[in-house]
Amino acid sequence: MKNAHRKFLSAATLAGITLLAGCGNANTITFWNPLTGDDGAYMDALVAEYNETDPEFPVESVITADMYTKIYTVMNSGKDIPDLTLIHADRVPQFADLDMLEPVEGLMATNTDLSADNYLEVAWNAGNYEGTQYTVPLDIHGNAMYYNTDLLDKYDVNTFLDDDVVTIEEILSLDGKLDEGQYAINNALIEWVTLANVVNAGGDISDEAGNPTINTDAMRSVVEQLKSVADAGLMSPYGEDGYAMFQAGDVLFSTDGTWTSTAHGSVEGLNFGVTNIYSVTPDKFTNRSSAHLFSLLNNEDRTDEKEQGIADFLSWMRENSIDWAGAGQIVASKEVFESEEYQQYPQSFFTSSDVEKEASYIFDYKYYSYVESALGTVLSDMIYGNITIDEGLDQAQKTVEDLIAENAS
Amino acid sequence: MQTSEAVSTNTNAKGNKKKSFQFLYFIGPHLILFFVFVLLPIVYGIYSSFTQWNLISDQTWVGLNNYKTILLDQDSTFYFQFRNGLKNTLLFVLYTIPFQILFPLLIATVMQHKGLKFKGLFQAIFYVPGLVSASAGALIWLLIFNPRLGPMNNLVNSDIVWTAQQPYAWIVIFVMSMWGAIGGNLIIYRSAMAGVSEDLYEAAEIDGAGAIRKFISITLPSIRFPLFYTFVMSTAGAFNVYVQPLMATNGGPNQSTTVLMMYIRNLAFGSGESVAGMASAMAVLLGLVILAVSALQFYVMTKRSKG
Amino acid sequence: MKKNNVSKYLAYAFLILLALVWLFPALFGLFTSFKSQGDIMEVGFRMFPANWIVTNYLKLLQNTSSAPIITWFFNSLFVSTTHALLVVVVVSLAAFGYTRVNFKGRDALFYGVLAISMFPSAVNIIPSYKIVDSLGWVNTYLAVIIPGLGGVGNVFLVRQFMQNIPAEYDESARMDGASDFVIYKNIILPLVKPVLIVAGMFSFVGSWNDFLWPTIVLSDVKKMTITAGLQLLQDLYGNYVMIGQLMSAAVIAMIPTVLLFVFAQKYFIDSLNLNVGIK
Repeated sequence: MKNAHRKFLSAATLAGITLLAGCGNANTITFWNPLTGDDGAYMDALVAEYNETDPEFPVESVITADMYTKIYTVMNSGKDIPDLTLIHADRVPQFADLDMLEPVEGLMATNTDLSADNYLEVAWNAGNYEGTQYTVPLDIHGNAMYYNTDLLDKYDVNTFLDDDVVTIEEILSLDGKLDEGQYAINNALIEWVTLANVVNAGGDISDEAGNPTINTDAMRSVVEQLKSVADAGLMSPYGEDGYAMFQAGDVLFSTDGTWTSTAHGSVEGLNFGVTNIYSVTPDKFTNRSSAHLFSLLNNEDRTDEKEQGIADFLSWMRENSIDWAGAGQIVASKEVFESEEYQQYPQSFFTSSDVEKEASYIFDYKYYSYVESALGTVLSDMIYGNITIDEGLDQAQKTVEDLIAENAS
Repeated sequence: MQTSEAVSTNTNAKGNKKKSFQFLYFIGPHLILFFVFVLLPIVYGIYSSFTQWNLISDQTWVGLNNYKTILLDQDSTFYFQFRNGLKNTLLFVLYTIPFQILFPLLIATVMQHKGLKFKGLFQAIFYVPGLVSASAGALIWLLIFNPRLGPMNNLVNSDIVWTAQQPYAWIVIFVMSMWGAIGGNLIIYRSAMAGVSEDLYEAAEIDGAGAIRKFISITLPSIRFPLFYTFVMSTAGAFNVYVQPLMATNGGPNQSTTVLMMYIRNLAFGSGESVAGMASAMAVLLGLVILAVSALQFYVMTKRSKG
Repeated sequence: MKKNNVSKYLAYAFLILLALVWLFPALFGLFTSFKSQGDIMEVGFRMFPANWIVTNYLKLLQNTSSAPIITWFFNSLFVSTTHALLVVVVVSLAAFGYTRVNFKGRDALFYGVLAISMFPSAVNIIPSYKIVDSLGWVNTYLAVIIPGLGGVGNVFLVRQFMQNIPAEYDESARMDGASDFVIYKNIILPLVKPVLIVAGMFSFVGSWNDFLWPTIVLSDVKKMTITAGLQLLQDLYGNYVMIGQLMSAAVIAMIPTVLLFVFAQKYFIDSLNLNVGIK
């Protein structure tokens, strides 16, 4: 019968392919990363370049969209754990507490160039938890504010950029002066903007005991100021795609990320520059950042030799990751971001001075993700008046407390 | 047609009875696959609902605590999330299922018209949207409903920001979901209707029955089995909705479109530490709701066919 | 007859209007795949591109390292076809068993299985992966082909159609001494061919569109299936930034399913007519 024949053929093919699939090179370093989109292509090119140097342990880059789900799944089964992973800064405290990470101090001992001196301070420190170094950084990437140069000219507000910080006061001064359908700022990544401004206002998202502090005066004041900008009609409207509006030339300042410079660059006719995120005060500015960090998931099967291979790969990366800047990232390796070649990239702005370097802020609170997520759920509703600020902040505070309590004990 | 003999006995040509386990050859393969790949994970999930677990450390047994929190602790975030999520999911089911059943039924009936050509083409047009990946489909509709870039506001001559207010947000989600959802049911109904004998219709016409009478008395009862299938499966699918609200409105405005599956997924696989035990408990409760609704549907449909 | 014509034209009008509404977004998406980012973002609605560009497609097709779409395409083709064929076999056997063979507790078993399958699970990825891992299937095609065969939906569907077939058909064959398997093969299967094609098609599409499971269970980018692979076009934070590119990816991902549907449709519309003529 036709079906039976087909079934047999499929089974045979399957068997054949399975056999083929089973083989792999034991000396390969499996490297999992979440670099979707164009970034993935840059990383693959770098990995290919490394493999061309004919190392004893070549690297196989595996890009995954749902990397963390995959990591949890694999850690549960205990097998097929990757040799090297690229994780985000806000996962480090979590993973370290759960004993998922092997410290990189072994790698640092053999390859002494992998040390704090050779990397951007904030990037290196992001991998340090309770005194142990768990990661070697690749980059930091964060909130960046793009400005439309043509619109700045049009409204004659180039002076806003003078001290490298645009204040909310300056933004509010545009009240009533913009054309219909044009806006001063958009609400891209507004959670990051808010959190950064809490720092500017002298606050924090957690206290010394490790409790979350969301419904604080500092937070309230920041949200109120953002709300006043929205009420004045200067923020792109709720539900509309502020990012698209910036690309269409209708928004002066877009608070998205360092990684979107390539996308903005591809829009014909859009003339833009990059600066720091606007602030509630002229005295301080903060760009909320995260980092991509090389880490070693706990894996008994990883041999010492392979770890040496990984260390060598990381040393090579430290020297050669200039191409990573093409993806719009702020490369963490000092050798790279201090080089001549790097200065041509827009994101070199963020390492152009000590003040700039200090403005990149990575939250190290263990429960940062809960805070960002809970705040994000209510933030737009608070800013655009769907709920009161007190309601929103109380809800966010309670949500984070409940989540923490769930995982305690 | 309901033969329900208690034992599996076949009387073969020689008149001898032989007890056979023949049925195992038929249902066996599927049962094994079901057991391994469906039952075991579900049992694991149910077990997890009685634990406190972050996906990495060992599971800690907490008995009914998760359920008590979700159902009884009025201050708890999880209580709020479950209720809000379930409410929104039920709204989604209520808004979409009637349409998802009746509309393809209507189209299938219209397409029964004998003189109609291009039936295959029409069917293809209604089915193909279901083949578009959910994210691409969502983006297309977001573009269409985009106040600036899309045709919708030009068409209805307004400047509503659809995803920012109710009831427009629900309308966007409804349209987005239904665009891809009716094709499948349409095919099933047409397949089923094609099997209904012409003689029945002719006899009815001779008795003077109009189109509606024919539909209610002949078409509907004749396709009641496949109809039952689409009703149950579409409903179960709607309870599991996740992608459309996520991509259309991200659960807003003010969490009014956050469906239960979104809360569940976020608790289990969000960016913070996982609260998988709580998420599993919510999933079990959702499962019970789905079962209750299906049982109700079953009861209604079998009662009707006997009456 | 006049009455017939009027109703025919009404039917056409209704269907054509609906078809246009249904077609519009797909066409819009298709045209968008030929637009540049700036073109898409420009204010005001425009259906057709200002300048037709094929860069979106070229860029996708040229990326053979991190997003080898053609490879993914053939992977999906292999995986989904095999899966669909296996589904047809497994499901038709099971549905026959639940309708045509009598055994104690048959209906209760079926409804029990159906009920269990309706349970959603928050964490089913974890045990599913563990099971697949212990079978040694991780990062192989078996992991994406076999697990879905345990689904009950298609069994339910085919069972419902089999129930519609009168028992008299089997009885005459049984009296001639035919075994269950012969009845299955020679009588029932031909009668449910259209719905088997539908079930096969649905499971092909389901397998084709599955994006989470392949991501979890396959690590080799070269083995990835296409819809899972499309996830890799999101930018860092899960937003689809380059819309034109996403549209072109969606179009490419859709081609085989559309072709399959067109092909299958022709096949089962003919079979539909066969079905009606049974005596």
